Amino acid sequence: VLDVARQAVEAATAAGADYADGRVVADDSESITVRNQEMEGIDRSTSEGIGIRVLVNGYWGFAATARLEPAEIERTAALAVEIARASSRLPRDPVRLAEVEPVTGSWHSPMQEDPFHVALEEKVALLMEATRRLQQVDGVAFAEGGIDLYRRRTHLATSEGTAIEQTTVHTGGGIEATALGDGELQRRSFPNSFRGHIAAAGWEHVQKLGLIDEAERTGAEAVELLRVPECPSEVTTLVLDSGQMELQIHESIGHPVELDRVLGMEEAYAGSSFVRPEDRGRLRYASDLVSITADATLPGGLGSFGWDDEGVPAQRTPIIVDGVFQDFISSRETASVLGLPSSGAMRADGWQNLPLIRMTNISIEPREGTLADLIGDTDDGVFMSTNTSWSIDDKRVNFQFGCEIAWRIKSGKLVQMYRNPNYTGITTEFWGSCDAVGGREDWTLWGTPNCGKGQPGQTARVGHGAAPARFRNVRVGVRG
Amino acid sequence: MPGAIGPDEIRRVAGAALEIRGADGVEVLFLHEWGGLTRFASSAIHQSTWREDTGLRVRVVVGDRIGIAGTNDFSEAGARAAAENAREMAGVVAPDPAFPGLAPEGSLEDPSGFDEATASVGPKRRADGVATLVSACADDFVAAGAFETVGSEVAVANTEGRFCWAPRTMASLTTVVTGGEGGSGFAEVFAAGVDEIDPEAIGRRASAKAAASQRPRDVDPGRYPVVLEPSAVSTLVGFLAWIGFGGRLIAEGRSCLSGKQGDRVAAEAVTIFDDANEPGTLGIPFDFEGVPRERVSLIEHGVFRDGVYDRRTAKQTGKRSTGHALPPPNSEGPFPLNLFMAPGGSTVEEMVASVDRGLLVTRFHYTNIVHPVESTITGMTRDGTFLIEHGEIAHPVKNLRFTQSILESLQGASMVGRETDLASEFFFSASRVPGLKVDSFQFTGSSDH
Repeated sequence: VLDVARQAVEAATAAGADYADGRVVADDSESITVRNQEMEGIDRSTSEGIGIRVLVNGYWGFAATARLEPAEIERTAALAVEIARASSRLPRDPVRLAEVEPVTGSWHSPMQEDPFHVALEEKVALLMEATRRLQQVDGVAFAEGGIDLYRRRTHLATSEGTAIEQTTVHTGGGIEATALGDGELQRRSFPNSFRGHIAAAGWEHVQKLGLIDEAERTGAEAVELLRVPECPSEVTTLVLDSGQMELQIHESIGHPVELDRVLGMEEAYAGSSFVRPEDRGRLRYASDLVSITADATLPGGLGSFGWDDEGVPAQRTPIIVDGVFQDFISSRETASVLGLPSSGAMRADGWQNLPLIRMTNISIEPREGTLADLIGDTDDGVFMSTNTSWSIDDKRVNFQFGCEIAWRIKSGKLVQMYRNPNYTGITTEFWGSCDAVGGREDWTLWGTPNCGKGQPGQTARVGHGAAPARFRNVRVGVRG
Repeated sequence: MPGAIGPDEIRRVAGAALEIRGADGVEVLFLHEWGGLTRFASSAIHQSTWREDTGLRVRVVVGDRIGIAGTNDFSEAGARAAAENAREMAGVVAPDPAFPGLAPEGSLEDPSGFDEATASVGPKRRADGVATLVSACADDFVAAGAFETVGSEVAVANTEGRFCWAPRTMASLTTVVTGGEGGSGFAEVFAAGVDEIDPEAIGRRASAKAAASQRPRDVDPGRYPVVLEPSAVSTLVGFLAWIGFGGRLIAEGRSCLSGKQGDRVAAEAVTIFDDANEPGTLGIPFDFEGVPRERVSLIEHGVFRDGVYDRRTAKQTGKRSTGHALPPPNSEGPFPLNLFMAPGGSTVEEMVASVDRGLLVTRFHYTNIVHPVESTITGMTRDGTFLIEHGEIAHPVKNLRFTQSILESLQGASMVGRETDLASEFFFSASRVPGLKVDSFQFTGSSDH
């Protein structure tokens, strides 16, 4: 397959490209959903094609096709060059690419048991039993379970001599109970919302999740949520579990430090960022307990790879160190604007899209203590768990997030469950109020499988290592 | 028909899937999309792309068990392999007793929404359009956005003898203009044909809005009367579709409109319907299981009539499919993709003139659900938010966060705009809506820009 990618590069170069890369991608997926012990859906999909990216006189062009025969590749490469030439209709500083050593090699994400080889009957049986146990709880109206598998094989060749092959397998599963009553709808999910916990791993990951063992508790909490009071509206101490911290990091740190956003390249769609290039090494982003790292080398992370889609090696990049902003995640083009090497964060959603700067595994570095320690050390406040909703402004400043469940903390104990909890804040004020970050014991490397960006829209699977944490003076219980 | 594969070739390839042995029924959903998107930022083109892809989704029925497989290998071998894969799944999975069967025999071919010029647009024409837009912006302002032209074909074939095919085109130009001393402006046009896109007018409109929103001031969050421009209204209507209008949600008690058929849920001035065949939208005349799309009256003069249905929810509820199935498998149930809010008789200027102290909102950003049954959503304003005092625009304000029930806001809709705009979240989905004056709208926070 690498020869097909090389042929694309040669065709593009012959058509006039100064730089070219060809990326052949084959995607396979399998998704199973069971609801109330009936099949809700079972679906396998495959998609294969090539994306050809070129630079002509400093302007980008990109064209993609599903047909891999030589004549079609030649036509598509020529079209990419034509697009690049058309882009010069408006003047701009020519694109320059940060230097990278050409590489050859292959990389596979770690896996013990290939989930695509596990019998469908076994997968369905697991979900049937988990949803049976959810449904056994009196008051659960809908019991759902899902398993999602993704495999991506990428072959990348560039005109600079890079020729690499990579395979990633992402595997995940989860359950969710819905309870209805008297104008209320309450959901409780496990291990996380939005189809559970997905990782770069094999079937062994799903087997360890405990979907059956945790079903009864999950269902019981959904039902109990119908009977408990609303989360009060107040300014208080907020403790977040690691699942909600995943989303908090994603939206208010991961996206704002994407260098393409910072440079205005996403302005018209999802917006830009409050962080500026000159903030490197200066901006007080968070309290000194907060250190954030982008690490594409973490085993098991959805943002892990050998090389990004520009052939830049996977790296570990400090983003925030002891509360001070250090660096962006970047591409070869954007890094060169700042005179830096690429952080290796370019990934494309399949063959049909051009690579964009995407989060790798953006994680908070663990400090000390368990979630229980953190709650035990809190005199008065609210503990929230499991994301339901997220919203943040176009510069990533004002946010509001909702969770599935909360509890009142009094004198170090959880004393009252609340429903419909949410909280709001301003990014740097909120992170500045962080006065405790949990330790390795409750730090989890979560997967976010649905990160949207770009036009045409792309979805990326990214990772976030998160520990529970505590924040002071947070406004909770926002009501319409 | 430039770029299109056409019904004969689609029938031939789909036939390979329909003919597999060991199946009680087979359905093939065919999707073909090709086109370019030219993206610009800082008044220069920074990403320009073209792609073409075909998709086959094959649903195989064995008894009361269903398997679904998708492939982008548009060939007889690809179709056959997908069908065999789906049949294998159907052989081992659990029963699906709610499956209503495949759509019955029939034919529907409609090429009327295909514009040859749009299907053939090349990168130069899009680049020229972007250059025209940029040149229409005032000095000291820069434009970002995207100019997209797309052709598509959708077809459904099944072993009951059903075949539907519709080629379509879509063109859109969206921009955000920034510069000066803070503030930004937005404009967009979606249309079936590229000739309906006027880049200069779009650039001028966004640039004027950016100029008017310079040096925005703080304003306290709280309840205000608001004048919502069509783009902001499309967010409310789009979210109401998501959490309200689907027949499955309604039947299961999960919709904010469950049990409210016949109830007044909005002001008398509010009428919302879904109609893929109405001029002014980007619809296809059948759904993704081949059922003709019907016009459905959702809210009529403030009264909720009913939602939309597909074959599965029709069977579950004893109703009839209205032709609103999404591609299988689909856990969301039926969905209205071509919404309209009926226009009223007011201009935006008249709505502003009627407000003593309130806010004018150009658009919302990054909206999400807070409480689905109460229809409460939250999001931010962006690209032009203004304080209205004594019936006039007083000054621009920094962006605000709202947390607000959609139905409550529609109950407080006291004026409806007479001009409508088409807004699209994704292909085949579009809302055509007017501006609205809402008497009370809850803002719960603010930002710094």
